[in-house]
Amino acid sequence: MTLHFTPVWFIAVPLLLAFLAPLWVRWRLLMPVLFSAQVALFVLALSWLPTVRIAPILETIVIAPPLGIHLHLDAIALLLVALFSFAGAIVSAFIWLDNGAAHLRERPAFILMLLLIAGSNGMVLTGDIFNLYVFIEIVGVSAYALAAIRRDKTALEAGLKYVIVGSVAAIFILFAIVLLYLQTGQLNIAALAQAFGNMPAQMQLLIGLLMLIGLSIKAELFPFNFWVPDIYRGSDPEITALYSGVLVKAFLFVLFHLTFILLADPTVARNWLMALGAITMIVAELVALRQNDLRRMLAYSSLGQVGLITLALAFASEATTAGALFHMVNHTLIKVLLFLLAALMLRQYASLKLTDVHGLSRTMPLAAGLFVLGALAVLGLPPFSGFISKLWILKGFADVQTFWPVALILTAALIEAGYYFRWIRVFYAPTDALPMAKIEGEKTLNYAPLLVIAGLLIVLGVAPFLLEDWLQQAAQALLGREALLNAVLGVQP
Amino acid sequence: MLEVLELFDRPAVLHSIYLIGSLILFFIGLYGLLAKRHLLKIFVSIEIMELAVYLILIAIATTPGETAPILSDGFTAFTSMSDPIPQALTLTAIVIGVAVTALGTSMAIQYHRLTGKVSVGEMTELKD
Amino acid sequence: MNLITKLLFLGLSFTPAATFFTWDGAVAWSLFNGITLSFDLTPLSAFFMLLLAIGAPLIAVPMLREKSDESAYALYALLLLGMQLLLLAGDFIGFFIGWEMMTWSSYLLLLRSPRTDLEGAQSYILFNLASAFLLLAGMLFLYSITDDFRIQAVDGLLTADKLVLFVLFSLAFLIKVGALPLHLWVPRSYDQAPDLFSAFLSALMSKMGIYGLMILPLLFPDGFSEISGRFLNGPVAGYVLAWIGVITATIATFKAISQEDMKRLLAYSSIAQVGYIVTALGVGSSLAIGGALFQALVHTLVKLLLFITIAGIILQTGHRRFTDLGQLISRMPISFFGVLIGIIGLAGMPPLPGFAAKYLMYVGLIEAHWLLLLAAMILASTASFVYCYKLIYGPFLGHANSPEAKTATEAPWQYLIPQIILMGMLVALGIFPGWAIDVLIDPVLIGLNMTPIGAPTWAQLSTNYGGYDGVVLMSVFATVFVLITALFLLIRGNMHRAASPYDLSFCGEVPTADTPLHYGAGMGRELRRVPLIGWILRHTTTGFYAGLTRQTQAAAGVIGTLYGSNPQTWLLLAVLIFAVTLTIQSVTGA
Repeated sequence: MTLHFTPVWFIAVPLLLAFLAPLWVRWRLLMPVLFSAQVALFVLALSWLPTVRIAPILETIVIAPPLGIHLHLDAIALLLVALFSFAGAIVSAFIWLDNGAAHLRERPAFILMLLLIAGSNGMVLTGDIFNLYVFIEIVGVSAYALAAIRRDKTALEAGLKYVIVGSVAAIFILFAIVLLYLQTGQLNIAALAQAFGNMPAQMQLLIGLLMLIGLSIKAELFPFNFWVPDIYRGSDPEITALYSGVLVKAFLFVLFHLTFILLADPTVARNWLMALGAITMIVAELVALRQNDLRRMLAYSSLGQVGLITLALAFASEATTAGALFHMVNHTLIKVLLFLLAALMLRQYASLKLTDVHGLSRTMPLAAGLFVLGALAVLGLPPFSGFISKLWILKGFADVQTFWPVALILTAALIEAGYYFRWIRVFYAPTDALPMAKIEGEKTLNYAPLLVIAGLLIVLGVAPFLLEDWLQQAAQALLGREALLNAVLGVQP
Repeated sequence: MLEVLELFDRPAVLHSIYLIGSLILFFIGLYGLLAKRHLLKIFVSIEIMELAVYLILIAIATTPGETAPILSDGFTAFTSMSDPIPQALTLTAIVIGVAVTALGTSMAIQYHRLTGKVSVGEMTELKD
Repeated sequence: MNLITKLLFLGLSFTPAATFFTWDGAVAWSLFNGITLSFDLTPLSAFFMLLLAIGAPLIAVPMLREKSDESAYALYALLLLGMQLLLLAGDFIGFFIGWEMMTWSSYLLLLRSPRTDLEGAQSYILFNLASAFLLLAGMLFLYSITDDFRIQAVDGLLTADKLVLFVLFSLAFLIKVGALPLHLWVPRSYDQAPDLFSAFLSALMSKMGIYGLMILPLLFPDGFSEISGRFLNGPVAGYVLAWIGVITATIATFKAISQEDMKRLLAYSSIAQVGYIVTALGVGSSLAIGGALFQALVHTLVKLLLFITIAGIILQTGHRRFTDLGQLISRMPISFFGVLIGIIGLAGMPPLPGFAAKYLMYVGLIEAHWLLLLAAMILASTASFVYCYKLIYGPFLGHANSPEAKTATEAPWQYLIPQIILMGMLVALGIFPGWAIDVLIDPVLIGLNMTPIGAPTWAQLSTNYGGYDGVVLMSVFATVFVLITALFLLIRGNMHRAASPYDLSFCGEVPTADTPLHYGAGMGRELRRVPLIGWILRHTTTGFYAGLTRQTQAAAGVIGTLYGSNPQTWLLLAVLIFAVTLTIQSVTGA
């Protein structure tokens, strides 16, 4: 029997499994299903790599584009889908093995996490702009609900703030889509791209700004990211791992995918987006210096990295784009690692304030060690993969003799070192206090998913050529406007 | 008098009126969103803003005299029908909007039960 | 189990030696995007690898005495790996990878000391990362011009480009060697690090900065003079570097004299000694570079010896301040000789090889006609006699000032073995300075495309400006030493009968057991009253860097207020930005 592989699986499988949740509850299979679904999707994505590298897969639903909805699986979509399902697999394995956080192992969380993954995959895959809106909202709703899933004061506050900010962002995006449709009568992104240049300049500006602000709120760019620290502080760290690792990456992709495909000349938006990225990076790193709560610090650090990725992607040269995509992969791995560590530490310490985790390494040596590893990787120190991606980005800038981003990135990294090493020093601070007693259920197995990430960070740091071709193809796919238009609409006369 | 009424039947005029009306609605929503402190009022404002966007879509995509895009009772061709896509989009968007609002409201209620607070200004639990 | 781990660790410390002897041919590792790392042992890197190969096992031996500590051993392994990588690297990427691995693994080792405070740890890592990022900027700049990351001579560049490269690289490496005013992290970290790790930091890791600086003559052949012309008989770019070195040496020497803590004194003395090397590098002639290499070799041996000996003293007495020690000469005689040989090498006095190194550097300065610099350098190196004296007097002579100092015994054998080996090496080098020139230094100079210094015989050091014979010199000194010691021992019988030191009285006061009679107490304090030196000693860069930190924190605080907790403010800002941008863009019509 041969199965017909289609990209729809990346969306349909998690949705289907989510709908069947009562069944898994009855059979007590909730966590195994969650984990194996993500692993299966990850394996599926990898198995498709050879095919996609030759030519992107175009899956039409009912009617051919530009009238119908289609999914577009090219190198970058595959990269992100694989990344999302890998991050999902790690997080669900962690939740499965972990004895704390019972509310994350019940049905609502199960459904919402699958929805989140399905929606993120959909955002990356879809070729239809309204479909994109639907996926944005699916992701949004599941993210809002996940933020509040602990249902105590802080979680609900985070959830409420997230709903308010997120739905306003969605209105911005919807408004832009409505205007696009009214102007062109098209919803297919490729068809829109062709018509976009013919619109009045004022309208282009209005739509562009609405889209930019809507997506910047979602993709956590300054000055639209004030919500981030609060939401990251209030939600469970396991959930924030998904926000920082999956959600932001999906929105960043959408932002740049739309920019590069709608604008015939992406240099129009280059300065704007590079400025946004640079400001995001510097501001976030500076503010992080004064954070005394680990989760808030990680939130700001995440913003800083998002700024760096934006800066590099917006430059739109092939080298910086490939480097930025690699940095996306690394940042996802690192932030999943760090937030899951924060989850473990939170179980042990109840508060993650700087003053409360003094000498943590004596109680949780492995957690402290992994935190150091994650910090080194996020700072871009060799031999971890963060170094390679940063080097790739910097090299891309140096290739064309553009030095101001290099200087900014290095300064930001120095500031970032300022606070990461402050935390490391606190973890390893000499204390007279005896190590705390291990809490119930803390076992080495909890660390297994984290060790997988740590191993991957080292492997990718020592042998980055494993991903090199894929990343370069992904960069070409992201920047290759003509190729995509031709692939979707057929060669135009 | 009749001419004045006919003037209102002209698409351009009608569309402008719809547009202005929807925009007024949008700005009312925006005002509520930014000025009101009560959580439920904020959700109502968000809903009003969304509604305004739907109205713009529906209103501008339809011209007077078009019929509903349904093939039945003698209508066998797609002539003089309104564009079906905006309506489909709006229906989808409304469903999503309701879901978000429902989620938000339920959270607000739970939050109120837990803390007794209803104002966004008082949500300062997360600040260290 | 314990023993096996320790033996493994000891074996590990021989890896630099293994690399040094067995590395043949280039190993290449393809990274990505056409970047291929190549690892090769050049004459220059072989010289520094040799220093590492000598130093690593000598520090590992005393470490074996401590409780077996797997994570510290693992970090040492990473540190050694990083240093070997950076020495072997044939391109800047590999160099940077090794450099950074060295930086963070040494930081984590530093954290293992209970004495390390937040300021010490933060200044160590931030200064070192700043150095690393300057290096990264430099190599990216180089790459943007030449399209190549390989470490090789650059030619055909514009003068401005060369200057930028020169400034970026020299800043990066000057931070690493702790040149003033970028030295803040050095005394703190050498002071706070675990005692034996201080030896590693001072003797071996500072040499990596020197190695980096030595790359500069490789990048800019013809001794920098093509960068910006010549001044007197030397390069202009080097002149600046040379002054930085001399100022560093002078100020650090006075700082060292005024220290009351043995490890801090040695830290400042390291800064000063490395300052000489920077000066010699600035001269850039073959004599000066040869002197710099010789000085690097001697300084490595001397600082290993002194730090290990002092670690032994701290281990046995628990004290690090001169005022708490004293009279250890009879209780720790081998350590006494260790420090004695060490300070003679440090001060650059004949017959030990420190003299040969300084001699070569002086001759280099004379050859360049930079006499002002020569005078300043002689001043610094003469002033260093004072802290050398303090180092031998403080712990070993005078009266014991604490109960521990009165009852201390000789350091354990694990500490003594390296001391004896190092003393032997220093004496041997003193006898055979020509050997060092011929076998160790000349190959490096040839590798750098410079004229070798050459030596008529292994015992002789000879330059165009004169030289000396190590065998003769050592024989004379040894004879005099033996004679004086014999004389001393002969009349010692009478001196021995002297009563308790507390029989002294002065100004009618009779000192009691807790009066600090020790000459080391407060030694160097008077220095603060000397006009210029006092001013220098009263001023530090600490305030500047603390102010910088404060300002950054304040800026962070101001920006941080943007991140409020009210969602309406966030949205209001977004809407306002939207409206303003839209208006501006519509009006300007962009």
